[in-house]
Amino acid sequence: MNWFNLINANIRKEYISLKRYLPNTIATLVSFFIIFLALFAGIQFIGDPGTKDVNTQYVIVNYVFWYLALIVVQDIGYQLANETIQGTLEQVNMSPLGLWKIMLARLVSTIIANSLIVIVLLIATMGITGQWLNIDLLSILPILALTLISMIGLGFIIAGMTLVMKQISAFLQILQFILAGLVFIPLTVAPFLAFFPLVKGVDLVRAVMIDGVTLTSFSAFDIFVLVFNAVFYFCIGLVFFLYCERIAMRKGLLAHY
Amino acid sequence: MKPIIEVSNLHKTYKKRKSTESVTAVNNVSFTVHQGEILGLLGPNGAGKSTTIKMICGLIKPDEGNITIKGIDNQNKRLKALNHISAVLEGNRNIYWRLTVRENLEYFAGNRGKSRREVASKIDDLLEKFKLKEKENELVNRLSRGMQQKLAIAVAMLAETEVILLDEPTLGIDVETGYEVRELLRNIAKEYNRTIIISSHDMDVIQDLCDRTIIINNGKVVTNDRVENLLRLFEVRSYTITFENQLSNKQLFQLQQKFPQLDYTPDTLQPKLEVNLSNSNEIYELFDILHQEQTPIETIDRKTINFEEVFLKIVKGESSHELVQSN
Repeated sequence: MNWFNLINANIRKEYISLKRYLPNTIATLVSFFIIFLALFAGIQFIGDPGTKDVNTQYVIVNYVFWYLALIVVQDIGYQLANETIQGTLEQVNMSPLGLWKIMLARLVSTIIANSLIVIVLLIATMGITGQWLNIDLLSILPILALTLISMIGLGFIIAGMTLVMKQISAFLQILQFILAGLVFIPLTVAPFLAFFPLVKGVDLVRAVMIDGVTLTSFSAFDIFVLVFNAVFYFCIGLVFFLYCERIAMRKGLLAHY
Repeated sequence: MKPIIEVSNLHKTYKKRKSTESVTAVNNVSFTVHQGEILGLLGPNGAGKSTTIKMICGLIKPDEGNITIKGIDNQNKRLKALNHISAVLEGNRNIYWRLTVRENLEYFAGNRGKSRREVASKIDDLLEKFKLKEKENELVNRLSRGMQQKLAIAVAMLAETEVILLDEPTLGIDVETGYEVRELLRNIAKEYNRTIIISSHDMDVIQDLCDRTIIINNGKVVTNDRVENLLRLFEVRSYTITFENQLSNKQLFQLQQKFPQLDYTPDTLQPKLEVNLSNSNEIYELFDILHQEQTPIETIDRKTINFEEVFLKIVKGESSHELVQSN
């Protein structure tokens, strides 16, 4: 019940913030939508006519994943840095549930809020472009959930770094490109990337949404890599975060920016 | 009765930036706090008060020493210990300025695993008690600093912990709200039997609210005593006596022999003698000398010392007051 109330409180806070700053929310939606359309138009005009449909679908799926990964990984870093400046971080850290659980609740609420936005925009884009992706929820949701768990692990790493180093905005900018590389490079080009966070998940979702493959058609190895990545990166992220929290407490960094 | 908080031999040093040197923030600090007690932590800037409070909150790890809260070690079982303490550490900065009063209370309750429904009636009670009911749907950034401060205390109260720690609860608020906050804290301790630890520069707050005061200087506890004891210690034997006529040379000589620290002002209109007595019997000796020549006394004033003066004397080391552990 504690978990439920914690996640509920953080989802509500996220919702309040989106609603209270509606012009900002609308601006985010519009810019995201324009980028979607620009990607589509770009491929229509400059892409190979023979493969343009597949390319469009490929880019849209990749962009959606990149956007989600970016939000999940960066948002937590910005939130923590802001809370340190505002003075609320110490208060948040006085919860007997522990800072990591609160951070996890925030990551989950960020994912839920942004996934809803992405889904709405994705449907709108598909409608406008006429490029209908295969939305097989039974296949997509488990893959997406496991992929997001590995992203949460990355989010914890960023959160831990923010606790200790405070200023990581330059690092976050570099991370955008690393994430873009991971999402956009096909696994056929670099098979070893399968063990990097997101990559396997994006590859499988692409197979479902573009090629119409179902979850049961994937090999046991594919599923194993997906689950392994989720567990591995989540654990690594959490352990790193807890380690950074200890350093921050030893050095008295929680209140200082 | 077992104390609710036991702090023993706390030690904390910080490394200086870009240097191998370190600064000792807290040096061998020990004290205990009992249920329902209001304890004041006083000290000049950089004395180690906030570090001590944050170590009790489990936000800073001590290099050495132990802190137990209700018998729970707050380093090994930090989260369990946090069930018993809440804090207002940065005053009005401890709350979300872009949420409303009610949303803040609900959010922090949620962060402790409580549902909105579970805390709804408690929030209503607190809003009434803290006179924030009319502002419950107002964004925090539109409230006065005093109201923000009261909300921060209400957030700590909502956690329903036995111990509340407050770092500078009246800093930056006007006199009227300061009195209101003091009254609230007094009621919290009394009505809810909460233990309160206050760190403050405001001597009036400490003198008015606290049962006991710990003065920290250079990271060390220099005094641990009840406020009234400290006042009594400095206050008792300082007198100003005015006369109708001048004192004779013989009287002055005798007085100076007996009380080397005395200060005599031979004002033609109203001669004045200021004297510090080291014990209560000396006043008889003083009057004996004055009585010898039937010197007419106009007024006798016992000098009252305020808590700020006591604090300064202790911090400057002017006091011979030994560290008292009045636990």
